[in-house]
Amino acid sequence: MNAPAALDLASISERVQSEVQRAIQRSIKGVEYFSSSGPSLGSTPKDILAVRGTMNLYHYRPMADEIYRVPILIVMATTNRGYILDMVPGQSFIEFLLKRGYDVYMLDWTAPKPEEKSLRMEDYVLDFIPDCIRRVQQDSGETDVSIIGYCFGGVLSLLYGSIFHDGPMKNLICFTTPIDFREMKLFSNFSDRRYFDVDRLIDTTGNMPPELILQSFEMLRPASRVASQVQLWENIWNDEYVKAYRMMDRWGTDTLPLAGEYFRDITKNLMWDNKLYNDTMTVGGREAKLANIKVPILHAVAEHDHIVPYDAAKHLITKIGSSDKEEVMLKGGHVSLVAGGNAIKRLWPKLDSWLGKRST
Amino acid sequence: MADKGNDPAVIWQTMIGEMEKGFNSFANQAMTSPEFSKMMNQVGGAGAGAQKQLGELMEKYLLAMNLPSRAQMVGMAERLQAIEGQLNEIKVLLHQVHHNSLSQDGGMGAPRPPRTRRPPSEGEQK
Repeated sequence: MNAPAALDLASISERVQSEVQRAIQRSIKGVEYFSSSGPSLGSTPKDILAVRGTMNLYHYRPMADEIYRVPILIVMATTNRGYILDMVPGQSFIEFLLKRGYDVYMLDWTAPKPEEKSLRMEDYVLDFIPDCIRRVQQDSGETDVSIIGYCFGGVLSLLYGSIFHDGPMKNLICFTTPIDFREMKLFSNFSDRRYFDVDRLIDTTGNMPPELILQSFEMLRPASRVASQVQLWENIWNDEYVKAYRMMDRWGTDTLPLAGEYFRDITKNLMWDNKLYNDTMTVGGREAKLANIKVPILHAVAEHDHIVPYDAAKHLITKIGSSDKEEVMLKGGHVSLVAGGNAIKRLWPKLDSWLGKRST
Repeated sequence: MADKGNDPAVIWQTMIGEMEKGFNSFANQAMTSPEFSKMMNQVGGAGAGAQKQLGELMEKYLLAMNLPSRAQMVGMAERLQAIEGQLNEIKVLLHQVHHNSLSQDGGMGAPRPPRTRRPPSEGEQK
């Protein structure tokens, strides 16, 4: 037998051994997986400042000896829970901000109750956000507040900023925020006004059921759930992979219902009439033009975002009225832009270097 | 090490990845058609209506069986939430009242760090 052939045989034998070991580990870990709960998420120490309706305002306890003057209010997307930004220690965006010396507040949402189906866009933009801003000002003793909006939280922040353009918002950071809803091609087709009877749906169900929201997100990549489960089984021997999978899977399926009237407003004004992009958006009768926003703004978009494609987000920076404005496109998808290993390397340091010098 | 190109595990993973991409792309193309939207919304609309009717029927059935309905359970959950909310308010008040005694555990009454932080100079940033 010649040398290369012997080498190959040795490597095949190693490979077989390693696969057998992994197969055994898969069986052991597979049982563990189904018999244990996932990692505890959202555990950075915080205080609840206010709970009202679907609105929850948290203040995270500072972790630095000296903090920036301007506090941050994070506005979460109304379809999902805020713990995506506070996974486990070492992988928490909130913890990162606290350690870098920011004073962090979060406006997180809970499921609207059946009798809260009448909450409208104006309740979110003209009541919940201004109320949180007031409470942040009161709690921090500072007038200025920076706002970070994730996905639809970014849309709400833009609407707030375009109406309350005289302050107190000091800086605005949007993560993957759509403004041209025609370019969200699949969502746009799902809600085609010729076939999608939003009035009938909401009149029937009251609030928009979370199952329908989750289904529409999953339909964007119909094969991905099955593929991710196959990958999970292959990697179930790997504790780190399983931990990351469980964190993301739990968050991804933990979708919130939307208040019925609020969903009706979104469908008619944004999905059908594209009013934010067309500069015809009003909230509670108040004009909400993006050009009214004059504060420094950073918009972070993801290169492979299947939920908010770049075409739906790219006009934000051009339409905004600020002179200090920047768009940054980073590798990753809609979620990996803000959470996980990709975010730790890319978005978080970028945000810190941009916001730090604007927070004094 | 075995050549990665011949490694069955790598081939399998690549195949799964490619199948996922291919199917997603094919489905996305199919889903952009107006016919798909029409069909999806017809099915979805009928489903929502049927779900509501089933819910009403179940409620009657549970009432007949002397069991609590979902609406009653939701009502109880709301009362619990209201109690939790009131407990939170009491907690906040207690924190305020005992401002000094709580100052050691870093809670709400704890003194905040000074707001004097300056951004690191360009060279210091990692």
